[in-house]
Amino acid sequence: MLVLRHGRIAVRLEWRSVVVCAVLALAAAGVAVLALMTGSYQLGPGQVVSALTGGETGLVHDIVVEWRLPRVAAALVFGAALGVSGAVFQSILRNPLADPGIIGFSQGSYTGALIVILVVNGTYWQLVGGALVGGMATALAVYLLAHRRGVQGFRLIIVGIGVSAMLDSLNTWLILKAELEQAMAAAAWGAGSLNGVSWDRVVIGGACIAVFLLMAAMLSRPMRQMELGDDAAASQGVRVSPVRLGLIAVGVALTATVTAASGPIAFISLLAPQIARRLARTAGITLAPAALVGALLCLAADYIAQHIAPTPLPVGIITVMLGGGYLGRLLFTEARRRL
Amino acid sequence: MTMTTLRRGTALAALLSATLVLSACGDNSGDGTGATTVQKRTVTAGNGAVEVPAEPQRIVTIGNTTLPLIDMGGKPVGVTEVGASDLGLIPAEQKATYEAATILGSSGDQVDMEKLAALKPDVILAQMPKSEFEGIEKQLASVAPTVFWGLDVEWKALAGGLAEAGNVTGGLSGQKAEFEKKIAKIKETYGKVIADTEFVNVDRWESSDPGTFSVADFGCVEIAQGDLGMNFPKAAAGADPLGWTALPFEQIAGLSKYDVITYPVDAEGKPKAPFAPVVETNTWKALPAVNSGRALGVFCPGNNSYGPVLRYLDSLDTALATLPAK
Amino acid sequence: MTALALRHDGPGTVPVPGPRRRLIGLVVALVVLLLLLVLSVMIGSTAIAPSVVWDALFHPSADIDQFAIRDYRLPRTVAGLVVGAALGVSGALIQALTRNPLADPGILGLHAGASFAVTVAVGLLGVRDIGGYMWFAFAGALIVTLMVLALGATRQGQSPVVMVLAGVCIGAVLRGAGSALELTNPAAFDVMRAWNAGSIVARPLDLVWPIVPFLVVGLVLAVVVSGSLNAMALGDDLAAAQGVRLTRTRVLAIIALTLLAGGATAIAGPIGFVGLMVPHVARWIVGPNQRWIFAYSVLLAPILLLASDILGRVVMHPSEIPVGIVTAFVGAPVLIVLVRRKKASRL
Repeated sequence: MLVLRHGRIAVRLEWRSVVVCAVLALAAAGVAVLALMTGSYQLGPGQVVSALTGGETGLVHDIVVEWRLPRVAAALVFGAALGVSGAVFQSILRNPLADPGIIGFSQGSYTGALIVILVVNGTYWQLVGGALVGGMATALAVYLLAHRRGVQGFRLIIVGIGVSAMLDSLNTWLILKAELEQAMAAAAWGAGSLNGVSWDRVVIGGACIAVFLLMAAMLSRPMRQMELGDDAAASQGVRVSPVRLGLIAVGVALTATVTAASGPIAFISLLAPQIARRLARTAGITLAPAALVGALLCLAADYIAQHIAPTPLPVGIITVMLGGGYLGRLLFTEARRRL
Repeated sequence: MTMTTLRRGTALAALLSATLVLSACGDNSGDGTGATTVQKRTVTAGNGAVEVPAEPQRIVTIGNTTLPLIDMGGKPVGVTEVGASDLGLIPAEQKATYEAATILGSSGDQVDMEKLAALKPDVILAQMPKSEFEGIEKQLASVAPTVFWGLDVEWKALAGGLAEAGNVTGGLSGQKAEFEKKIAKIKETYGKVIADTEFVNVDRWESSDPGTFSVADFGCVEIAQGDLGMNFPKAAAGADPLGWTALPFEQIAGLSKYDVITYPVDAEGKPKAPFAPVVETNTWKALPAVNSGRALGVFCPGNNSYGPVLRYLDSLDTALATLPAK
Repeated sequence: MTALALRHDGPGTVPVPGPRRRLIGLVVALVVLLLLLVLSVMIGSTAIAPSVVWDALFHPSADIDQFAIRDYRLPRTVAGLVVGAALGVSGALIQALTRNPLADPGILGLHAGASFAVTVAVGLLGVRDIGGYMWFAFAGALIVTLMVLALGATRQGQSPVVMVLAGVCIGAVLRGAGSALELTNPAAFDVMRAWNAGSIVARPLDLVWPIVPFLVVGLVLAVVVSGSLNAMALGDDLAAAQGVRLTRTRVLAIIALTLLAGGATAIAGPIGFVGLMVPHVARWIVGPNQRWIFAYSVLLAPILLLASDILGRVVMHPSEIPVGIVTAFVGAPVLIVLVRRKKASRL
């Protein structure tokens, strides 16, 4: 339908990526400072700095170091993970609108989480486990159901749509049958929320993400080669099948970690690689700018989510709206140009 | 290009993990309690024994504790939102108390923690699902002593605990005495009816699927069942409450087998808005109990503190008085 | 989102059955549909004897069981038939229009528009009855489609690609705004979780009839543009060379689609999947001719909806499951089995 790809642009634009990355990092740092400085509890810049350097105790310390800081860290790390995950999927499926949702992962992890929240009444770590198991089991089921002498793209998508539709229905049913308050908590999780993020969650989630990011970085070279076509890559000595499987696994694992930790934060995995590619003006998908754009997007969206309404909203609501708007403008101009 | 991407990606990952490890090492020495002369007392609740000020001045209520505390005369400074339909049922002065408080979030797990901290409360009273409380327990405790009850606590125990922790025991004991008196009076007046009538209580809520109703066995009917000994259908031990099963309107016909039907009405005695579709059906109008004046509208403004329960008992009293002799 | 990602690969490579076999298939579908209509009145969560059902329809009296037939089973059967047919044809229209075999009427943001309008009605305006939701839903669907049409206007006329993108984006923004409203307003959340499930229960006939004229107009328009859509399947240039007026066809198709899907959503809430799956399967059976796809969709979609509704009445006895939840569980396995059996998995 739409292929959002310019012709191959020469490698001499390389330096641009570096500058873009630096600017993005600076912007993210700026928003991070803003997020640390502001909140419904009034604190002066001096107090915040002193809390960060260990000069405060009691509530002021807790608010800055235990509440605001992990939230900022989570937004950055999770956003980066989503950006890379989207970049990987868009690259291997050679489709600008692909994301891990295509194989029913999001719906499956929501189902797992709903069962833990509504049926088992479980703890946070059970919720994490439920979301992971649900998502992985769904992805596996879709893969196996689509497997018939090899997996073919079209069949994968149809089976994904079918399985997702069933899980969507199941999720609606679970929400419908729950007590109002629990149903709302589940819905807030389902929208993707960083409310109440604590250090232990950030550290454990972040450690997993760091490992997966490393793996993604190691696979990025063959990934770029495969963007030119499987045959071309194979002729350059890339072992296409294992690399593709590895990339899918890393992409899913990154999204899975974020989804498990904070619910499915929508649109970042779709948007970040697109924005990154436009900023860096590279021909294909590059990981580092995508990660930085993802981090910046997630952090900014969370800042808006906390301040736009009288009470904090789930960050995912903002990413959906921002994402919808931005994607609209982006694809729109592109489509108009082609017509 | 690819080489730099690789290196940059690796560096990024390393940087991220380093930042994480470093920031995680930040110590959390956060128990700086200043010297105080405030009198303390210890209350025991769902989260164990908690030391609270004997005369709390700035109370915050989270989840289902707001209306019961206000009902006993408490004046919280911060609350979580109460639905408009519930607010419409409470006396005007209680509503004014609620409206004077700062709203901290739409429900227990959506509390704006910094807003809460900014109120500088001296005690926090919370009732919500235990799993949700565990998520915010630490943050609440770093702001003020927090007393928590799960959803499984009985309403009388909740009222007692709230009165103690919120220092409104005066209001509670008056309500309690009135409650005992009312129960005794109804038992005496309608002893025979209570003994040999098969009741059924039906209900419908805003969340109910269209075209469905429920045989409700929770809410005010628990008081009629437990304290008055009236005979209502009950779920088997260990099974889900009957009220959780949404029954299609077709099954209204099945209510024929009961002597008396009770259904929810508002303060004016009209069927409660979500229940109105049931009353409008031809099947309901064709029920023998409805035709013979044995369908009683009962007003239930709430069932987790004595004030609304007393108003429920008044309504039940009035309704039973209209029951034609067998 | 996923549906967007697919490319259309032109008319099928699969051998298409001849007109005779297609006609036989159509008759079989009609018989199955009639059978389901009868079953839908016969089967419910209470056991009512067939003789009572007969009397309820043809010798009405004030018997309590007769009311159950006339007031509950008959209206939901009519609603299932009407909503199903509308969803099926609207799905076929959007798939033809976008040349995307996996497009769903919801792709133009229609469900999101309807849902958002109902959320606003419930959350901000305090509307609380199905009759009220209905018109808000219809208006929401119409307004979003108008916006999509306006945004889709390019110099060369209406572009399906741009319209779909506009629909997806408007849908995302409205969904976000809707969730924000619901999560800060528990009462609205409570109502919306029931409405969003999609149900054909408690829609009395006097609420359904006012929507039916819109659906009929939509159906007629769909038939009118079917020839042009057939021509356009071969490509815009070829169609234009045959004298097809592209913009006029697209605008008419969108109007038909909005009336059908908007009307169906107004009656039943957002029922997904039916509009995606049924025309898609119909195309597998009869090939790319729109008229045949419409004919099959108009029968197969109510079959799926009524079968799901009947199943939803019995599997959770004494409770019921809203039809919008059951359709995916009935339809998706069929779809998966079919796609696994297909030799050429392209169109």
